[in-house]
Amino acid sequence: MKRIAKANLAELLSAMAAEAKLYVPAESDGIVNFVSWQEGLAVELAALNVLVPPKKFFYPQTETVLQYEMGEDLQIEDFACKAGEKAILFAVRPCDVSSFAMMDKVYLEEPPDEAYRRRRENTTVIALGCTEPDEACFCQSFDIDAAKAPGADVLAVDTGEELALVAQTEKGEELISALNGLLSEATSGDENKVKDEQEKIADRYVTSVSLRGIKERLAGMFAADYWERLYKRCIGCGTCTFLCPTCHCFDLQEYAAGNCGERIRCWDACMFADFTQMAGGHNPRPSQKERVRQRFMHKLNYFPQQHGDYACVGCGRCVRKCPVNLDILEVIREAGGGTDGL
Amino acid sequence: MQQKVEGYPLKEYTTKIRQIAKEALENREVTAIIGWRKKDFWWQSPVVFLEDPADVQQLVWDPFTIYSPVKFLLDWQESCAAKVGIFVKGCDSRGINRLLQDKRLERERVAVYGVPCGGKADAEKIRASFPSKEIKSVTLIGEELVLAVGEREERVKAEAYLLDKCLSCRHPNPVVYDKLVWEEVSPRQYADESRFARVQAVESLVTEERFAYWQRQFDRCIRCFACRNTCPACNCRVCIFDQAEPRWLGKANDPADTLNYHIIRAFHVAGRCFECGECERICPAGVPLQELNRKLIKGINDAYGDYEAGLDPTDVPPLGTYRGEDPAGFDES
Repeated sequence: MKRIAKANLAELLSAMAAEAKLYVPAESDGIVNFVSWQEGLAVELAALNVLVPPKKFFYPQTETVLQYEMGEDLQIEDFACKAGEKAILFAVRPCDVSSFAMMDKVYLEEPPDEAYRRRRENTTVIALGCTEPDEACFCQSFDIDAAKAPGADVLAVDTGEELALVAQTEKGEELISALNGLLSEATSGDENKVKDEQEKIADRYVTSVSLRGIKERLAGMFAADYWERLYKRCIGCGTCTFLCPTCHCFDLQEYAAGNCGERIRCWDACMFADFTQMAGGHNPRPSQKERVRQRFMHKLNYFPQQHGDYACVGCGRCVRKCPVNLDILEVIREAGGGTDGL
Repeated sequence: MQQKVEGYPLKEYTTKIRQIAKEALENREVTAIIGWRKKDFWWQSPVVFLEDPADVQQLVWDPFTIYSPVKFLLDWQESCAAKVGIFVKGCDSRGINRLLQDKRLERERVAVYGVPCGGKADAEKIRASFPSKEIKSVTLIGEELVLAVGEREERVKAEAYLLDKCLSCRHPNPVVYDKLVWEEVSPRQYADESRFARVQAVESLVTEERFAYWQRQFDRCIRCFACRNTCPACNCRVCIFDQAEPRWLGKANDPADTLNYHIIRAFHVAGRCFECGECERICPAGVPLQELNRKLIKGINDAYGDYEAGLDPTDVPPLGTYRGEDPAGFDES
């Protein structure tokens, strides 16, 4: 374990920026987002959730898949094999770190998504452990230990005046040794302090849900009246899906102009009417009811059936940001029946 | 999740709303009621749809009954032939007029219960002063906000904790209703002063700064379309931004397309926006959409004389007519 005074954070960031493209959470106009770090930028360490989850670094909202030109013969330029600059994500919260492992199940299973794979491989993730969840945080219900982040390359723990840094992977070890000049060796006192901080969090959640049996119960609920009641206040915006660290559905679009063109991949949302709109006009999810049902079924039944895990990490973004307060807490509680903690 | 502070007649307002809803359902004046209920947290009072008189116990009136129920009337009308009862605040009621003037609502199919409103609370402002996790309830009593925080009770001046949009509200009393739920409140002082303050601040920037300002704002847009979807003035059956063929708006999150979207959205509601401010309030990315809306309102006022949309569905909107004395604008060359 290493440590550095928070007063020297700028030096650490500067050294990291020399290693790779560095992204940090920063506030602008009241909104915290991951942005490219530059000298003098104030890093926001207190915010729990950045607005747009860091999935965007592996799975950008918009990316070019290929460009083509029709001449004597067809020229195709593949962009996937060029994706992935060397990058460091600093201060990713443990719920978001957990979302990466979940996204990996989609994009790294055979056949892997090359652009995603390259970005994951070239990115070093530094997690920032949590000590104080807010009332919309419920990662604990998904067995995520918010003080730790096993999927991160480095774990940072805020101990007040200092940050403690623990390398957790080979990539993490490499980064820590590259920064070694700026770091001091942690003492056993520091290690105890980190342990203390990490232990505090478990009792600080005020919200939890029971997931026991929800996958099975939902399996029998496809035709239930429940969705009829639930969907009515959904306004069909993309807030929940775009801000969800585990939502991963996309659309492919052609931007053609004359003899050349570009194929892009962009986030899409099952909340949008045109998400399932067919070329002939038929829509298998004709109303918002089917769309809302799809979103929660996917997260709590289909995904766990296919991949073993729930497609939710309890980050609470949908709880905080849904304009009509239609969130996964409500569905888990009502469909699952677990009411503990609410 | 009912208000738990003892010693005040806090439930009076909620009781009144429940009573009206219960009577309307029991007497079969309406087959459904749209109002607000309480959810898991102190800051959540989402819209609720009720059909059973026994369910009216869910209805509440509290500082967070903010979300406008009005646009749900469009879906309701299309899927159901019966009459619906709806509770509306001052801002919401102007949305009813919006739909009426746009010929998107049949007035006789809606029973409007007008709720005079003293303003709604801003959860963010409250969180900045009180630990959110410890707050049990928040109640507005007159000009005071009463909070149950942990075991203690806090009383603060409400004005500092109200939504900005409520501080500049000119019509806290419903402008259209069949029944007024309780007596009217007096409009907020200084509402007019703050109405165009932010527009003027942006106007005062030089062009390059102003462009940079809007670039920064739109750069945060995630293209969720919540601003459009919540807006009663955005009531086209199919929005052009949702059309696949021809596709007017690229699906790629491209800065030019995002700018295009926001400009078209603002222009399309110009002269029709009634300043409920919901687009800005619910924007997850904090895009200051009300500055665009009010810039256009200010422009309309300057060019055609003061006009407020959503006050009278039979009026002639300045952009919906032509008079000989209208400023010629583009023709002045």
